[in-house]
Amino acid sequence: MSDRAPYDLGKVIIHAVALLLVLSYALPYLYLVSTALKPAVDVQQIPPSFFPQRLSLENFTSVIGTVGLPEAFLNSAIVAVLTTLLSLVIAVPAAYVSALYRRRLTMLFMLFALITRMVPAVSLGVPLFQIMKTLGLLDTTIGLVLAHTSTAVPLAMLLMAAFFEGVPKELEEAARVDGCTRFGAFWHIVLPVMPSGIAITALFSFIASWNEFLYALLLTSESSKTAPIVIAEFNSVYGLAWGPMTAAAVLYSLPVILVTLLLQKQIVGGLTFGAVKG
Amino acid sequence: MTERRFVLLMLMPAMLFLGLLVVYPVALLVYNSFFDVKLIDPASRVFVGLANYVEALTSKRILESAVRTLKYSVFALFFELVFGLGAALLFAAIARHSHWHRTIFALPLMISPIVAGLLWRFLLVGNIGILNYGLAALGIIPDPGAIKWLSDTDIVIYSVAAADIWLTTSFVALVSYAGLMNIPRDVLEAARIDGTNAINRFWYITLPMLRPVLAVVVVVRGIDALKTFDLIWIQTQGGPRQQSEVLSMNIYQRMVRYGDLGQASATATLFLLVMIGIAGLAYWKIWRADRV
Repeated sequence: MSDRAPYDLGKVIIHAVALLLVLSYALPYLYLVSTALKPAVDVQQIPPSFFPQRLSLENFTSVIGTVGLPEAFLNSAIVAVLTTLLSLVIAVPAAYVSALYRRRLTMLFMLFALITRMVPAVSLGVPLFQIMKTLGLLDTTIGLVLAHTSTAVPLAMLLMAAFFEGVPKELEEAARVDGCTRFGAFWHIVLPVMPSGIAITALFSFIASWNEFLYALLLTSESSKTAPIVIAEFNSVYGLAWGPMTAAAVLYSLPVILVTLLLQKQIVGGLTFGAVKG
Repeated sequence: MTERRFVLLMLMPAMLFLGLLVVYPVALLVYNSFFDVKLIDPASRVFVGLANYVEALTSKRILESAVRTLKYSVFALFFELVFGLGAALLFAAIARHSHWHRTIFALPLMISPIVAGLLWRFLLVGNIGILNYGLAALGIIPDPGAIKWLSDTDIVIYSVAAADIWLTTSFVALVSYAGLMNIPRDVLEAARIDGTNAINRFWYITLPMLRPVLAVVVVVRGIDALKTFDLIWIQTQGGPRQQSEVLSMNIYQRMVRYGDLGQASATATLFLLVMIGIAGLAYWKIWRADRV
């Protein structure tokens, strides 16, 4: 086992390169966090320094005090929660029959879900704006939830169908023999055995909505703006207020990063699956 | 209840919902594309036939933004594949010890493009962008003002891709890593014992066996890159002088700034058709390749 010897030069070089790669990959985000922790004046100093010379929470307090920003975070959370609930209610039954009652109609419908994932958001956004305007749903939470759900449903359907495919058909058949209705077998027997599949699908729907920008930009203007919209507006309203902007970006992205850290295996699994099926 | 009715009933909510919020909007989009119709007053419309399409296909700005979208996507995809595959090979080489490496690589997976764009704008921006100070300190560029990443019209469309490359390399790396782990060890080991060198092993064994995974990555990432909006929007809003305006942004501007719903719809319809065409072709190829 010569290539497992501790001082194999080739291995040492590979380890060093891998370490360097990972460090340089993490560097940009670390700089974002480090910048957010500087006093606002130090953020714009020339030349810039990677590490803060003084630590300060000034940027964070000013972000939290910014008119509209806490509300925007709250809006983002509300929209994401509602989107998640609505897409699960709609997608889970469809995914269930697609996986356990395979027939031409369900296959066609899954294909349609796949194609939907290719549609550029802007192509749907243009008519959605008009529809929401007609319905009086512009700049409302419901309007944005509906738009986000339209992208979350196909994603949730594809993910859930994959999870349901892991359920043996016999489980459903046994429940039916024991006198369950088809719906009873779905609701009382199959659903309770897959909490983790539902949780991962919920997480993907939540983050898809939490991160979404274009629909939010098109469909909201005042009262139901979400966090990314307000963060983007730091650009124009405050000139180059990099300090608060980096702090807001950290607040906006840190929860997502922590969740990724906790559920790394499941998320990579979900994304890999997403890659395979669309 | 018959099986047929049960299936229909379970599919019903999704069919109704997607019908209302995907199929109907697409129909409306196509319908609007045949009219001269303005955003402020969609009720008064004049049928113009294919005039919007003629305009879309002959407009210099739309054509340029389409070409730019392609340049951006190819550039971003190329580096994502090179870096992602490189990282995956490195991780595979130290397989048992790469757990933490992969954990750190996984962290950006779910970050919003808005954050990636904002972050890279901050790294590249004139005067305080730290990247140029780093490059100058290393002697790669003469002074920190030497490259104007986001204001030089010749390079801006490539500069804005840096954020995309940073954000998505992790996805490519982790998916490729999973693919690499699926290649049977003994095949590579046998080749090694037979005296095949590392480069040939990579070229004649690893790469062909990774082909299906890479094909999927190219399709998924390619489609994402062609659709890009937010990541570039937050960095440059399409500027300077529209030199980073991609197709999504062109359609958005056409509708929101100029209020030209008909024209925006025609361009968006063409965009949609091309995307579905590309996706269909790619899936057909992959699907067939999988079954040959």
